[in-house]
Amino acid sequence: MSELALLAGRHSNRKREAFASLLPISPNGFVPWLLPLTVLVLWQASASYGALPPSILPAPSDVAKAAWRLTLSGELLANAAISFKRAFSGLIIGGGLAFALGLSNGLSRLSERSTDTTIQMVRNIPNLALIPLVILWFGIGEEAKLFLVSFGVFFPIYINTFHGIRTVDPQLVEMARSYGFKGFELFRRVILPGALPSILVGLRYALGIMWLTLIVAETIAAQSGLGYMAMSAREFMQTDIVVLAIVIYALLGKAADGSVRVIERLSLSWHPAYRKGARL
Amino acid sequence: MKIAALQPNTALRGASVTLQGIGRSFGETSVLEGVDLEISPGEFIAIVGQSGSGKSTLLRIIAGLDQAYKGHLSIGASKGQKTAARIMYQEPRLLPWASVIENVAFGLGPQATRHQAFAQARTALEAVGLGDRGGEWPDVLSGGQKQRVALARALVSKPDLLVLDEPLGALDALTRIGMQSLLERVWLEQGFTAILVTHDVAEALTLADRVVLIENGRIALDLAIPFARPRRRGAVQFGELEEHLLTALLKSKSPSEEYVI
Ligand SMILES: Nc1ncnc2c1ncn2[C@@H]1O[C@H](COP(=O)(O)OP(=O)(O)O)[C@@H](O)[C@H]1O
Ligand SMILES: [Mg+2]
Repeated sequence: MSELALLAGRHSNRKREAFASLLPISPNGFVPWLLPLTVLVLWQASASYGALPPSILPAPSDVAKAAWRLTLSGELLANAAISFKRAFSGLIIGGGLAFALGLSNGLSRLSERSTDTTIQMVRNIPNLALIPLVILWFGIGEEAKLFLVSFGVFFPIYINTFHGIRTVDPQLVEMARSYGFKGFELFRRVILPGALPSILVGLRYALGIMWLTLIVAETIAAQSGLGYMAMSAREFMQTDIVVLAIVIYALLGKAADGSVRVIERLSLSWHPAYRKGARL
Repeated sequence: MKIAALQPNTALRGASVTLQGIGRSFGETSVLEGVDLEISPGEFIAIVGQSGSGKSTLLRIIAGLDQAYKGHLSIGASKGQKTAARIMYQEPRLLPWASVIENVAFGLGPQATRHQAFAQARTALEAVGLGDRGGEWPDVLSGGQKQRVALARALVSKPDLLVLDEPLGALDALTRIGMQSLLERVWLEQGFTAILVTHDVAEALTLADRVVLIENGRIALDLAIPFARPRRRGAVQFGELEEHLLTALLKSKSPSEEYVI
């Protein structure tokens, strides 16, 4: 069975290549960072020469110092951890429900007929419009944030899962059926892989909404978390901490997006658009 | 290849197919109305007919993909037990997320264990001349190669009956001729019964023991092709028969056209 081992080896090689292409050490990897670095240098320079008063925008070095101070006190890590936990609990609850409902509505007409219209109606409510109601229901407890994030991530994941399943090539499904595939095996071998690109697009949208919702919710109604940290710093005019919170949000958002890209590259390496060297 | 080997190997396997009064309509439109056809084990039948004459509909019924027909269909497998017919389409219909060898192993169905399936798939891939491409994604292959993978997938389970719905229709002329001889070779080696739908009269004459013409939902012509294999298109009799068949095909009308007029 050495041929089989060889084939398996070729597969994992391909995965390793896909993985390697994600690391930012390629010759061209530096180019995308050129513009942000220039902005950073200009920003630091104008702050140092007094062109930017610290009460408007603190120098990058002051933001770094604030980061260091809050890291030593443990405040930063505690707040980041709680925000992270809220974000992902909401994603798991809302995203999990949406995935399950997207699957069941994509696979069963009866399920679709009984729930899809309702979902499409509720979808038009911007989730942040619910904040006053949510505060009335839950106060500013954890449930409020969890509800808002779950509500926000639900729709992109639901719609893209549903759409992904409905647009699986019917010719492939017919072919698989003719070879005796049905039920779960048909789902696992044909329908799920066919729907996966669309599902992952939904996940990427959901991550964006997840952070946005959480920032707003923590700014308005929270006693902890990065949004709360920024809001209470505002009261004391600590602009360095406010900017720090914004930078951390940006980094977390970028990290979440990057991790979905890794998942895409690894699980969609069959797809020409996601293969090494392809640009989206 | 030795001449002695160029006889259909009916001793191996091959299903007999009997159609009695097969009819099928979609709503008001009747597509097939009483098709009678007897196919012996290991025979190679070509079905020709104008576009819309119901060729695909008939194949889908034989392949078990369409149950809503009238009349009687029986498929007698050589070994006594009933095996599923395999179907090959105009499109290769390969799973883009599975490697070439996984696609071929797919043809063994959901029960096959991975190890055994891969070993059999490798043999089937070698039979279509793609033994070294198993680890690649289907989308890097050419159209003809994809269709060969689809053929390997159809044959990996060693079916008694293979039905083909214009499988070479999308290929360029040169690739098509290569595929025709490949098809003839595996059919001779493996001895299954083959039913090929084609719009190419020369292709039908090159490959089939019998050519059947569908017209007005019925079989209008059933022609035995007497030439020895391998067949040469240049032969005089071949040309005469091609002419005869083409004339019959052009005269025939599909039922849908009648309604339009
Ligand atoms: N699922 C279907 N629903 C309605 N009409 C169909 C369906 N399948 C085929 N037909 C009709 O049946 C006729 C024969 O189709 P088909 O068997 O595909 O013809 P052919 O393969 O000979 O070109 C056509 O008029 C087509 O429109
Ligand atoms: Mg057809």
